[in-house]
Amino acid sequence: MDKLISLDTGLIFWTWTTFLIVLFILATKAWKPMVAALVRRQQSIAEALSAAEKAREETAAMSARYEEQLQAGRQEAQQVLSVARAAGEKLRSEIESAAQAQAESIVSKAREQIEAEKRKALAEVRATVVDLSLTIAGKVLERSVTSADNKKLAEESLGQIGEA
Amino acid sequence: MTLQDHSEDIGQVIIHHVANSDVLFPLFIFGFDISITKHVIMLWIAGVVVITGFLVGSRQYRHELNPVPRGFSNFLEAVVEFIYKDIATPNLGAAHAARWTPFLLTFFTLIFTANILGMIPIFDLIPGSGTATGNFNVTAALAIVTFFAIIFAGSREHGFIGHWRNMAPPGMPWPVLFILIPIEILGMFVRPFALTMRLAANMTAGHIAMLAILAPIFLLANPWIGIGSVALNVGISFLEIIVALVQAYVFTLLSAVFIGAAIHPEH
Repeated sequence: MDKLISLDTGLIFWTWTTFLIVLFILATKAWKPMVAALVRRQQSIAEALSAAEKAREETAAMSARYEEQLQAGRQEAQQVLSVARAAGEKLRSEIESAAQAQAESIVSKAREQIEAEKRKALAEVRATVVDLSLTIAGKVLERSVTSADNKKLAEESLGQIGEA
Repeated sequence: MTLQDHSEDIGQVIIHHVANSDVLFPLFIFGFDISITKHVIMLWIAGVVVITGFLVGSRQYRHELNPVPRGFSNFLEAVVEFIYKDIATPNLGAAHAARWTPFLLTFFTLIFTANILGMIPIFDLIPGSGTATGNFNVTAALAIVTFFAIIFAGSREHGFIGHWRNMAPPGMPWPVLFILIPIEILGMFVRPFALTMRLAANMTAGHIAMLAILAPIFLLANPWIGIGSVALNVGISFLEIIVALVQAYVFTLLSAVFIGAAIHPEH
């Protein structure tokens, strides 16, 4: 039993020796590089994450800006369209009124022409009627009424008729 | 022979199996006895296994800036990361964790390897116990390393005098110090002593239990008991694997806690 709890200084010495040898060899050759790699990896992951976050924010800002620009463009297009529409409307009404005026002038001109033609035709009719009535009267009186005086008389009477 | 005689024999057999061997190679340096026993050899084997394993597994860490570990290296990295992130960082603080991680890793890997080696029956070819960490001299030596590491860590952080002054928190009424200082001094020695006993007793207990379970076969001279004994011991062996891991973890964790307490006495 005493063997189980006896002091063994040699074993203590070898324990320390083994511990220190393992510590010194592995601390320099294995564990420091491994811990350094772990720390580096942690840092690079953290950096990558923050970079991704930054990129995401930038994208969001950019998309907001594009949205804004799009909105402005849409508004401008709307404005341009309404201006164009108003101009078109104005032009249309102008053309319409011009056409109206032109048509009216054509109609009035035609009316004047008709009036003149009518007057001319009436004069012709009147002359013809005078000749015809003189002829008829001559035939009735069985004598020729050709003298200028008679013609004048007839025209006067016709004029009276016309005036009546 | 009577049952009484048998039981005395069995007691001797159990002691023989859990105690260190006799001196295998006597060795003296400057009149100092450093003779080679089985536990010394087991410690060497554990040291060689740990050093070889980690040197092989960490090759790409020495050659590459950003290694991508695979297989065995990945496993070793998980061990290193566990000690670094889950033991060193929470107990020592992020600023000190990287410095103390190799120290804690030496504890963890060496103790765990020695614990597991003690479970491999091939080493029974040499007489004596195969579990070096079941020997109080080994665990005491490791606990003394922790003892000095605590003083070293405290002195490095607060100065040699500052470390001792941390035993008495400032703003304490002076009569309290008469109680507090003896308690602190006692605690300084009790902590490593507890580390020593816990590890050695745990590693020895499993072996004693297994031998005791096998003993009835010989005590009662009935081979049929062997069926039950072996089945039970298989179960205990699985339990011992967990105990080997847990005790290595506990020793490392408590060392980290004590060192952390010396660095951050306010907690």
